[in-house]
Amino acid sequence: MKSFLEYIGTEFIIFLDFLGGLSILGLKTVSSIVRYPWHRVRLFQQANRVGVDSLPLISLLALFQGIILALNTAYQLKRLGSEMYIAGILSVSMVRELGPVITALILAGRVGAAITAEIATMQVTEQVDALRTLANDPVRYLVVPRFLSFSVMLPLLVLFANAIGIFGGYLICVYRLNIASRLYTKIAFDSLLFKDLYVGLVKSVVFGMIIALVSCFEGFRVTGGAEGVGKATTRCVVSSFILIIAADCIFTALFYFLMP
Amino acid sequence: MSEKSSIELKVGTFIFLSLIVFVAFVLLIGDFKEWTNRYNVKVVFGFVDGVKVGSPVRFAGLDVGEVKNVDIINPSSSDEVSRVQVIVRLKGHVRIPKDSLVLVNTLGLLGEKYIEIMPGKNYASFLKSEDTIVGKDPIPMHSIMRSSYDTLQDVKEIISGIRHGEGTIGKLIYDETVYTNIEAFTADIRKYPWKLLYRTKEEKPNPEKTNFKTR
Repeated sequence: MKSFLEYIGTEFIIFLDFLGGLSILGLKTVSSIVRYPWHRVRLFQQANRVGVDSLPLISLLALFQGIILALNTAYQLKRLGSEMYIAGILSVSMVRELGPVITALILAGRVGAAITAEIATMQVTEQVDALRTLANDPVRYLVVPRFLSFSVMLPLLVLFANAIGIFGGYLICVYRLNIASRLYTKIAFDSLLFKDLYVGLVKSVVFGMIIALVSCFEGFRVTGGAEGVGKATTRCVVSSFILIIAADCIFTALFYFLMP
Repeated sequence: MSEKSSIELKVGTFIFLSLIVFVAFVLLIGDFKEWTNRYNVKVVFGFVDGVKVGSPVRFAGLDVGEVKNVDIINPSSSDEVSRVQVIVRLKGHVRIPKDSLVLVNTLGLLGEKYIEIMPGKNYASFLKSEDTIVGKDPIPMHSIMRSSYDTLQDVKEIISGIRHGEGTIGKLIYDETVYTNIEAFTADIRKYPWKLLYRTKEEKPNPEKTNFKTR
């Protein structure tokens, strides 16, 4: 019993430690963003890595997602003979929910893990300390470009994912279920409101910030050698996933209650 | 340097493309509402039965616009009543005769309300932008219920009258006199068929009444 309570206590302290460290890193990042001169080249490198290089993967998965969603919705709506409403269900769920969340999860796995491994290796091989001795603030040099490129590129990727997901549904509805192509686009975009679009985009900005901060934070607090780097990478992916889905839950509830 | 600029080119292209996607989304969601040629017409109702902003407007059964605003017009003097002004946004090329009938109708099973414009006959004068037309009020559900209730009451009364053998139909159904008479008549005719050919002795032919008499 005692050891069980001890376990809960330790885990809670670890969790608070994590949140505290993350908040401190976030504040430092924001304050270095405000102090303008950014590393422009690094920023573009990271933007390229986060945005452009992820686009093929995101597109492929969004296409599959649209197809899956259309087929699963058709499976139920066919009984009611109202397959034409697939378009509305698909576009709204893609734009509000699946686009942002799927994109964020993929990026956390693809780029977040890489960032953690990179920074953790730098930390383990004392390159971060070397940066400090050269009077280069590691937050400004390493975190800010990643943070900015994540929070800008993720919403843009989400836009692509939304469009491609709706196109995936279009393929199924038009070529498999024989819904007129004009009818599909009409229902898909008539069901969407501006609210749905910006709810999704606001969410994805926050998801981007979460991924960038968590992956850098886990990289910086690595201990030990190669094994530590591996553990840090795992922790990064797990914590990002948890935080993304928790933030999604909070945001959905907020938008539901504040802007019904 | 060339590598750097190629990265910047890639990122720039990416951002540019995604902005295009964004603009496409915005335009498709907005359905080009504000860019195409449209005009507003005011319709005044006494009762609108739940027409909302965004409710469709149909002219001759075709969607031609939507409700842009719904508001109460407060009465200016004590002998007036409150009215509802519905501002309707119509496609520019749709021309609506001034004597058209505007009414509130119900769409589909879920009871969504829309504004129906039945085309008028007078194609000499059309509604222009910011014109006002008086709409025909829909009949509120409770008054339909009321009048059908009244009708049902009347029907019930008549049926109970019939059931009690009152009135011609009641007698026809419940009074056996007619039946017994016909039965007696047919029995009589079967027995004495010659009666059909028998002509009763006529009295003196009366010139005014002869045409009523049968043989």
